[in-house]
Amino acid sequence: MLDRLSLDGRVAVVTGGGTGLGLEMVRHLARAGANLAVAGRRSGPIESAADEVKAMGQDAIAVSTDVSDSAQANALIDAAIQHFGRVDVLINNAALVSDSIPTPIWDISDQDWQAALDVNLSGAFYCARAASKPMADQGQGKIINVSSGFGLRGGRDIYMYCCTKGGIIQLTRVLSFSLARYGVTANSIVPGFIPTVGTDSEIRDALPRSGAYLPTGKLGVPEDIGPVAVFLASSASDYMTGETFTLDGGGLAGGLAPTGYAPEIPLEP
Amino acid sequence: MPLLPQYSLAGKTAILYSAGGDEAPFLAQALAEAGASVFAICRRQETLDAVSESLSNEPGRHSGVAAVIDSKGAVDAAMAEFRGRHERVDILVNDGRSMFARAAKEIWLDDWDEVQSRNVRSTFLISQAVGSEMIGQGYGRIVNIISGLAERGMINGSAFSVSQAGLLALTRSLAVEWGQHNIRVNAIGVGWTTAEDIPVEEQRQEQLVRYIPVRQKGQPRDIGPLLVYLCSEACDYTTGQPVYVDGGLNAHP
Repeated sequence: MLDRLSLDGRVAVVTGGGTGLGLEMVRHLARAGANLAVAGRRSGPIESAADEVKAMGQDAIAVSTDVSDSAQANALIDAAIQHFGRVDVLINNAALVSDSIPTPIWDISDQDWQAALDVNLSGAFYCARAASKPMADQGQGKIINVSSGFGLRGGRDIYMYCCTKGGIIQLTRVLSFSLARYGVTANSIVPGFIPTVGTDSEIRDALPRSGAYLPTGKLGVPEDIGPVAVFLASSASDYMTGETFTLDGGGLAGGLAPTGYAPEIPLEP
Repeated sequence: MPLLPQYSLAGKTAILYSAGGDEAPFLAQALAEAGASVFAICRRQETLDAVSESLSNEPGRHSGVAAVIDSKGAVDAAMAEFRGRHERVDILVNDGRSMFARAAKEIWLDDWDEVQSRNVRSTFLISQAVGSEMIGQGYGRIVNIISGLAERGMINGSAFSVSQAGLLALTRSLAVEWGQHNIRVNAIGVGWTTAEDIPVEEQRQEQLVRYIPVRQKGQPRDIGPLLVYLCSEACDYTTGQPVYVDGGLNAHP
């Protein structure tokens, strides 16, 4: 039953695929046998990612895309179908990480709020809308939306990131319910704190320096997400839909209580 | 077929506990296919026989014992059997889903206690024994197979649901308590499953099947690959989490 974890010949579209967690998912999907359409706003990182996939012997294209523009989201899916003939997997990973920098609510402009919604939530909706029809027509498809632990818990002064990532989980549930009858599944990956090379210094300063407060005692590494993305992209997850798959060092299970501290309380008489 | 090497359990030894149901053979097969040696602890001899039958192509590598795990003595005896055959335990899979459904006002206290004992008390006793060894060696993976009724109510389901919610709380608590020892504890939550091969059209004559978003019952093989991943070394940053594989039941009204 483990051969269902192979992606041999599948076609996957990954947004935000040139850097960070997106790049790591691209690498693992290619290792599992998938061909890739790598999307991102900047051409340099996505072309380099596509070259890496081709060096592994898989086919790949790089498609410069700003997912907040629905015409570009449509063009991305069209480009993948034109090149590969089909789309089996869509990973909505693109997000403005800059809006995870804590900002007091009174300092957030209309434009700041809207820009984050446009990329993080509307972008995922546009790509899902473009990919779901061809997936439904072929009777199978996998939509994977990258949310965040901030999609399930609040963060101090982190408005847009929390709201859009929470929206991603709801988008996943509605997609799953609506597309189940067409053989298309939708699931969310919920990463906790996983520092990536792309994380700039201002964001890095806002993130925890170590995972000492987590049950695992350490932060995640980008490689952690690879096998989870491959599982959700593969037919091994065909009976799983509308769900979240969390990689967070145990943070959500226990909350942010410092680990190692716990009182012992004797049984009452 | 290209497969990520992260999904391998080669060289690992797994203990599989089954409180009931007919899915243990499939879980054992998934672990064995990924390369693990399996030692089964089954409440019923019939389940152990089915597990042994499912692993019969490599009889020397796998073994097990039929035992009612309701006391420290019982778990110690089962662990003594295990130690007679294996050096160390890397993986523990608990399937604590002995089913029971009856109207709440008609549940006898003996039945209530028996359901909690089969599903929760036994899983705790085994986890405590195996977890102690895992703490000593600084490595372990524990996966509890639970029902989605851990999250939802069902008519006639009170005793069983309470046991499943208990297993989910145990999953979270042990994950937080043992994370520092490089032990990961997760759960797979399943929906309405059957181990029989029933044609989909026949299944859909039942109203409850049509209520499941994917409109068919789950099969134990649907959770095999996920079980293997959650038991693997690569599953290092996910802990204390239930992953539901339930045809979309948990995500819709």
